[in-house]
Amino acid sequence: MATPAALPPLPFNPSRVRSYVLRLPLFTRLVLLAIIVFWLLELQTVWSVKQWGSLIPEEINIGTMYRLNTYPFIHFGFFHAFLNLLALTPLLERFEAEHGTLTAVALFFGPLSTFPAGAYIVIERFVLHRNTEVFGASVWVFLLLGSEAIRTFKSNPYFSLGPYKIPTWTSPLFACGLVSIFVQNASLLGHLCAIFVGYLFGLGYLKVFVPPEKVLRWIEGKLNLLGRLPHYVSVDQKTFGRYGVLPTTTAGGERATPMSYLGSSQRLAAIRKPRSNPHFLFVHLPHILSFICIVAGVVWLLLLPLNDYSRQTYISENALLPGQVHAYFSGSEQHIFRGYKKELEAILERQTPSEQDSRNEEFTPAVSDEIQSILRAAGLKVATQKYEYTSSGITHQGQNVYAIIQAPRGDATEAIVLVAAWKTADDELNLNGVSLALTLAGYFKRWSLWSKDIIFVFPPDSKSGTQAWIDAYHDMQPAFVQPLPLKSGALQGGLVIEYPFDHRFESLHILYDGVNGQLPNLDLFNTAVSIAGGQMGIGSNLQEIWDHNDSYEMRLQTILRGMVKQGFGYATGAHSSFMPYHIDAITLQPKGDGWQDEMALGRTIEGLCRSLNNLLEHLHQSFFFYLLMQTNRFVSIGTYLPSAMLIAGNFTIMAIALWLRTGYYTGLEQTAVKPPGTAEETNKQAATLTEKSGANTAQQPAVKTVSSSIIERQLALPLTLVVSLHLLGLVPLYIFNNINHQYYPTATYASIAINAILPSVLAASLTRGLTTTPRDQSQQSLLIKSFSLLVLGLFLSTLATLNFSLSFMIGLLCTPLSFVNRIDSRTASRPVRSVLAVAGLVLLNVLSPPVVLLGACRYSGVDVETVLTQAAFGWDVWGMWTQVVVWCVWWPAWVTGCALLGFSLF
Amino acid sequence: MGVDRRKVAVFGGALALRLLLLVLFPSLPDLLTGRVEVSTPVTSFKRLQEGLFLYTRNVSPYDGGVFHQAPLLLPIFSLLPSSPGFPFPTVVLYSLIDLINANALITIAESGWAVSGRSYSAIRKHIRWDGVTIAAWFLFNPFTIATCLGRSTAVFTSTGILYALASAVTGKTFNSMLALGFASYLSIYPALLYIPLMLLCYDQRAQTAKTCPSTTVFALQHLAIFVLSIAGLLGISALLIGDFQAFVSATYGFQLLVPDLTPNVGLWWYFFIEIFDSFREFFLGVFWLHLASYMGGLSIRLRRQPLFVLSSLLGIFAVFKPYPSISDASLYFALLPLYRHLFPLMRYTFFAVSALLYATLLGPAFYHLWIYAGSGNANFFYAITLVWSLGLSILLADTIFAALRDEWEYDNPEVRGKDVKQV
Repeated sequence: MATPAALPPLPFNPSRVRSYVLRLPLFTRLVLLAIIVFWLLELQTVWSVKQWGSLIPEEINIGTMYRLNTYPFIHFGFFHAFLNLLALTPLLERFEAEHGTLTAVALFFGPLSTFPAGAYIVIERFVLHRNTEVFGASVWVFLLLGSEAIRTFKSNPYFSLGPYKIPTWTSPLFACGLVSIFVQNASLLGHLCAIFVGYLFGLGYLKVFVPPEKVLRWIEGKLNLLGRLPHYVSVDQKTFGRYGVLPTTTAGGERATPMSYLGSSQRLAAIRKPRSNPHFLFVHLPHILSFICIVAGVVWLLLLPLNDYSRQTYISENALLPGQVHAYFSGSEQHIFRGYKKELEAILERQTPSEQDSRNEEFTPAVSDEIQSILRAAGLKVATQKYEYTSSGITHQGQNVYAIIQAPRGDATEAIVLVAAWKTADDELNLNGVSLALTLAGYFKRWSLWSKDIIFVFPPDSKSGTQAWIDAYHDMQPAFVQPLPLKSGALQGGLVIEYPFDHRFESLHILYDGVNGQLPNLDLFNTAVSIAGGQMGIGSNLQEIWDHNDSYEMRLQTILRGMVKQGFGYATGAHSSFMPYHIDAITLQPKGDGWQDEMALGRTIEGLCRSLNNLLEHLHQSFFFYLLMQTNRFVSIGTYLPSAMLIAGNFTIMAIALWLRTGYYTGLEQTAVKPPGTAEETNKQAATLTEKSGANTAQQPAVKTVSSSIIERQLALPLTLVVSLHLLGLVPLYIFNNINHQYYPTATYASIAINAILPSVLAASLTRGLTTTPRDQSQQSLLIKSFSLLVLGLFLSTLATLNFSLSFMIGLLCTPLSFVNRIDSRTASRPVRSVLAVAGLVLLNVLSPPVVLLGACRYSGVDVETVLTQAAFGWDVWGMWTQVVVWCVWWPAWVTGCALLGFSLF
Repeated sequence: MGVDRRKVAVFGGALALRLLLLVLFPSLPDLLTGRVEVSTPVTSFKRLQEGLFLYTRNVSPYDGGVFHQAPLLLPIFSLLPSSPGFPFPTVVLYSLIDLINANALITIAESGWAVSGRSYSAIRKHIRWDGVTIAAWFLFNPFTIATCLGRSTAVFTSTGILYALASAVTGKTFNSMLALGFASYLSIYPALLYIPLMLLCYDQRAQTAKTCPSTTVFALQHLAIFVLSIAGLLGISALLIGDFQAFVSATYGFQLLVPDLTPNVGLWWYFFIEIFDSFREFFLGVFWLHLASYMGGLSIRLRRQPLFVLSSLLGIFAVFKPYPSISDASLYFALLPLYRHLFPLMRYTFFAVSALLYATLLGPAFYHLWIYAGSGNANFFYAITLVWSLGLSILLADTIFAALRDEWEYDNPEVRGKDVKQV
């Protein structure tokens, strides 16, 4: 439809702007580019461009003379840069067009930058004794305005404003005044200096600095600048035209433009106009975008340890008041502690002879009775709970002992849990920890200040005991776990005490990872660090990094260790079981050999309990999603989430691109323009089909497209394949969680073998079963990849909100799948295809889930059987979901990727 | 009878799948019943059981303010054995209702009204699926299965609507009005479908009958049937529940005034939580007017395709009605495959489907973060319901665009197959 003729033409014509921009001369372009580049550089925070290049009077000495030239390129922010660009472009373009590129370079890197700068420095430093830094291209704007004003003055000396005659050369001064009034922080003095130099230039006093025309012409001729540089303005633009001469009309032989230079600009044009190049748009661009997403995601993660992206931790919940109370746990309590320890040791010694096993530290009924009697003697309500779990053919059973201090000032609606497992997370005997908890139980009972019940739990081990207890506390226990006879209110927080050795300790190691990567509220962790460090003078460690020197490497290592633990999603200690019920809990492990004794640990725990006792509502103020890089620095979810999202996004981008590609663009041969006759023919055929269709609709379900450029997609096979592969993932999931532990290595090797064969079999059967044209095959393989990547991207981005680390790790392991394609029979001959496909399959097999598992086990020196037994235990007892992600998200995507490569074999 | 065998296979497969899911995952129905995406306060099976408990003990089911569904459901469900003890009969009943719905869909599809009407016939009508395929899309849609296992009473409304459509396209206009009356009686909003449905009935009558009946008389006749059917059902309800006033305010009052702001996949709950109470009445009016306003516009613009208007309105209800759930979306998705001939004209299917998939996965994840993990908040879930609504709206807008384009090509044969730009 034509534009109505009645409308007046727009004063602003976009096509003219476009041609103006496209015809900007070389030096102007370079200056604009430099300004934009410096503005972009300013966005990062590592290196301050402003500090480096701006004109600071005090900083100028021989070594920093470069500032005299760099300051015009540097700007304060987007608007400063943008406005200066707008003002500078026409002036500079005009200047360059008149004087030539070489002259412009010589003048703007010479006198026209340094003179205003010099004048400014002299006045600012020696006359005014101030030290205001200046930067920005406005100096050139005013300078050029000044010189233009002089030229105007020569031809047209006065404005007439009624009876007054204002000389035209004053106009830049008005502009300068207005700018100083309206724009904050505009340097009036700097602008005045620039205008002054501009006047001098306009009056011709600076002519001496212009390089002689002869020299310029010689340089230009020798280097063949006119031929080599696009948009170059010659010195003698009168002779050769404003933009030089066209090569065909060259007069002198030396000015001839070599034709080879023309190619580059054509290539540039192809990139500039992707719409005209569908192959680039549909095939190359998505790959580039995906790759950029992956790289950006990884780089993002690597930036996190820097100071600018991480934050100092702080206590967000004011009610906690960590370390504000005096801890009284000392003195005579130590005797009680020793007494309890002696009693427990005596029991252990007594049972030694009766058992041949060297591990005589089991939580026997004798120990249980002893703990119960101590707790009863202290005046607590005591109860026990039996449980039994079976996983991978191994039975885990035991009996939890627990006791409740009923709050003197509370109504039994809220409670704090203290856990001292008989065996620590590392399977050591936690004798000191249990004794300490018993002592604390007696000690806490005597205080009247508790407003929350305190529950002491003594599970026989750190893996299953607390899980059974917490499940039963919420009435969610499975059949083989006893319900709890005694309960209290909603649990507000949990602390796990471990002290598995007899000597004094140096620092506290804090474990905080929960099942499935859930983390406790950061306030709880902060409170522990602040009470231990601030009140007791005990240092804290995390993620088993004992000598954290706050360097980038150590921070990154801490983050990565935390991510690995979070990603695997296993329970790192007795505290982990609390997390699924939204109870924040941490484990305190004394480490090292120092001068802190068990009383210091007891006081720390007392302080923590007092803080938790202060809580008015459940911990909610601070972060639940964070990566800790040190005990007092963290990154919050808003900062780190984009890295996993970028990785997940790369799959989605590829999926969308492939979908578009299957619909609008099928391959190279399609790009040729159809002869006009065919379109009409197609329409005719379609019309006849439409007429016929009334009779034989059923026989012709798959009639090809009628609409313009849209290609009908065959969705049935790709959808079925992708969905059924995801369902097939349930089979290995079931197998790896339900067989006896001794078969795990065999199962792993079997799955590696099956993984090596399955994709090829799949590809062969699909190719054999489908007798379609190569075009349909290529479309279907693209659609299979599209759906598979879409589902992968979907799951990973959802997972990133629940367990960032797992999503990031799986995303990273899956990245090759974005770039794996069926090698088209039309682009490569059969042997080449086979070799490429086999090589690709071998490489992909290295990244298959079981091979990665084996590699990780080999690297960390752990047995595969142990890992898989632990994983199955996690699935059965802790409700761990990592396996589901591996077998139902990662594995199907991986098989699809391999099958796509396998297609190229047949 | 090849077609029949396919139909039996699809229906048998659907029934088997539902029962298999129940047998394999016995806790699944209760899990789904508790999900806010499946059960809303006006369709929840849990609330129905509460009402049932009170009803069987001769207490008014509306005492206690939990039950807000139509009273006729109570005698039906009181015949079944209690669901917690015997989940099987209930699930079988719901599966059978799904099959009945699928059967209605087959009738609608095979009438061909989706592709050609009285004064209009789609250009690409050879691109279509047969009834059994459309029924399979409906029966194997995960949303339908979730609704079925979640035992949401919204499926009864769906049955009413689908039977109203099926009767209309086969010329049984009386039955059609009765079915719509039943659906409107269960949940008010289907009453908004009266005008397009009446138009569909009229078109059907005009196409088959020799003499065209007068429009006004036809409309008034059918309005009378519609109103009388509702009145009859209300009368029976009044006999069942003594207190008519309490029953009306607990069911229809509840649906109209939206006092329960339990989260759901719709747009109302968050808005009415945030709004100041003094503006509540005003915005209730605005929201209902907004919902009703589509009916007029679409009926006029797409007068020649009344069945399409009905389907689009169902899609709009799935987005904008006060207590939407995935069952409303599944009803819309059931009708969408009837318009297979419009698919080549749609432009954003992939994006809409991706948005819906993302929302389907992220919705439960964010709800978990908000309610269970405590590490998120209401805004997380609401953001996802916005994405869900956005996906549905894109799909709706896209199908309507495709339908208009099809009509345009029908009117202007010279532009077929040419590119157009929407401005």
